Amino acid sequence: MLLGFLEELGRAARIASLGTVNVFLPPFRLGLIIHQMEFIGIQSLPIILLSSLFTGAVFTYESYEAFHLFGAQGYVGGTVGVAITRELAPTLTGLLVAGRAGSAIAAEIGSMRVSEQIDALNAMAVDPINYLVKPRLIASTLTMPMLTAIFDLVGILGSYLVAVHVLRLSPPEFTVRLQDWVDWDDVLAGLFKATVFGFVVGAVATYKGYYTEGGAAGVGRATTTSVVVASVVILILNFFIAYFVTSSVSG
Amino acid sequence: MSWPTRAELAAKAAQMTRDPVTGEVAAIRYVGVYKAFGTHEVLKGLSVSIPRGKITAIIGRSGTGKSVTIKHVMGLLRPDQGQVWVGDDELAAMSDRKLRTVRNRFGLVFQNAALFDSMSVFDNIAFPLREHTRMRRAELQAKVRDMLALVGVHHAEDKLPSELSGGMRKRVGLARALVRDPEFLLYDEPTTGLDPILTAAIDELVVHTHHARPGLTSVVISHDMAAVLRIADKVVMLVDGVLAHEGTPDYFHASTDPLVVQFLTGSLHGPMKV
Ligand SMILES: Nc1ncnc2c1ncn2[C@@H]1O[C@H](COP(=O)(O)OP(=O)(O)OP(=O)(O)O)[C@@H](O)[C@H]1O
Ligand SMILES: [Mg+2]
Repeated sequence: MLLGFLEELGRAARIASLGTVNVFLPPFRLGLIIHQMEFIGIQSLPIILLSSLFTGAVFTYESYEAFHLFGAQGYVGGTVGVAITRELAPTLTGLLVAGRAGSAIAAEIGSMRVSEQIDALNAMAVDPINYLVKPRLIASTLTMPMLTAIFDLVGILGSYLVAVHVLRLSPPEFTVRLQDWVDWDDVLAGLFKATVFGFVVGAVATYKGYYTEGGAAGVGRATTTSVVVASVVILILNFFIAYFVTSSVSG
Repeated sequence: MSWPTRAELAAKAAQMTRDPVTGEVAAIRYVGVYKAFGTHEVLKGLSVSIPRGKITAIIGRSGTGKSVTIKHVMGLLRPDQGQVWVGDDELAAMSDRKLRTVRNRFGLVFQNAALFDSMSVFDNIAFPLREHTRMRRAELQAKVRDMLALVGVHHAEDKLPSELSGGMRKRVGLARALVRDPEFLLYDEPTTGLDPILTAAIDELVVHTHHARPGLTSVVISHDMAAVLRIADKVVMLVDGVLAHEGTPDYFHASTDPLVVQFLTGSLHGPMKV
């Protein structure tokens, strides 16, 4: 059990480090990177837009009640803004991308493994790490903060719409605290986390796919475990990054 | 049992520089190769040489490790014990860069074609050229079309592998292996699953390709005994993960060994059980 875990960890580290080293090794695969960014980024947009809009909306709706008790409904905008930019946007984006793009990456590479397409790459003297892993790793690392930034904007928009049009706050009531409380540090902290999560999703998905064995069932296992592992790692890392790196308490 | 040391294996390899069947220089040498998957031992000390410039056929029952054997030549699999030599180089001792240059001298036709399913037929065949040469578009196009014509696949350039029949996939895989004019061509069951006419056409193609390229070393895994005995210069028979018999087709024709007789005639009666 422990041995299995260590072996897994070793494999993941191997793929992640080889993939990272390959970033600096030719061929650079710009075309493939852009293609992957489109796959991970553009195709995740609808789900990110929807999730962020409704996350902002529901968070505002729920917290309004509490603030309203103390007549402090003006705090809603600021509170929701900080929560979204620091926590909700990077974490939810990470989880959503792990579910949508990470699983697809693991499935694609896994099926290339079991149908010997990775052997074929090797046989043609093309390094599968450089050709398959690197573009996905880079694309997922770069795309995640972009999607998170969109989550930030749309989430706050969702919050604004609910606050102003449903809860009948006046627009300034919402925006003053938002501007006061949310500063660049919050946004950047969120985007930093998102970048780390992007790397995690890319690394977990490619390594799960790369080491797939056992035919179609194996591809299924690789797909599922890539989502589970990436999600858990994101949630755990989220705490440690908050604690050690981006915390405003200790900072 | 103690394993032989690297030096002992190398010494053994040095004694195998000439292929005993054809008298040619041994282009590929397996020296005491062991390979297991988990507890399942597949190769159990295989030693055999592949003569340069000749057609060598590997025969043996399903699951004896023919595909595994062929994958060792290009470092797609690594032996647990023993050595694989390509020319004067031992694979395990090679740097990654050296291994890449060796792989570049090979063309491998996979048993299941192993085409890239996200790419069109054209892109599949163009792939090795795009990766390793700076060919211009027009030249590349001409080369790919030549290959498609050679293997008899027409009007399928833009199709995806999933839209092809099994036989067509096989031929596209063949075209992809041929496109860079390799020194070594390895065919893993190029005709299994094709109709009789296509089978004859591919056998013909193997022979034709071989003779059109002086110095080409061909290795064919096949279950088609008639074709093997017709086209091969040397036949290697694997049984239970080791070399059971090697010889010219005439040797196999003349053999009275019950294993050989049973295999060649496809009989249910003999030492091999179903
Ligand atoms: N990657 C692998 N993992 C686990 N077992 C494997 C692997 N590759 C091959 N084997 C096992 O090794 C044995 C030999 O397989 P191989 O594909 O070489 O057979 P073969 O002689 O080519 O048979 P066939 O004529 O049916 O193609 C089989 O029992 C197979 O299950
Ligand atoms: Mg086989």
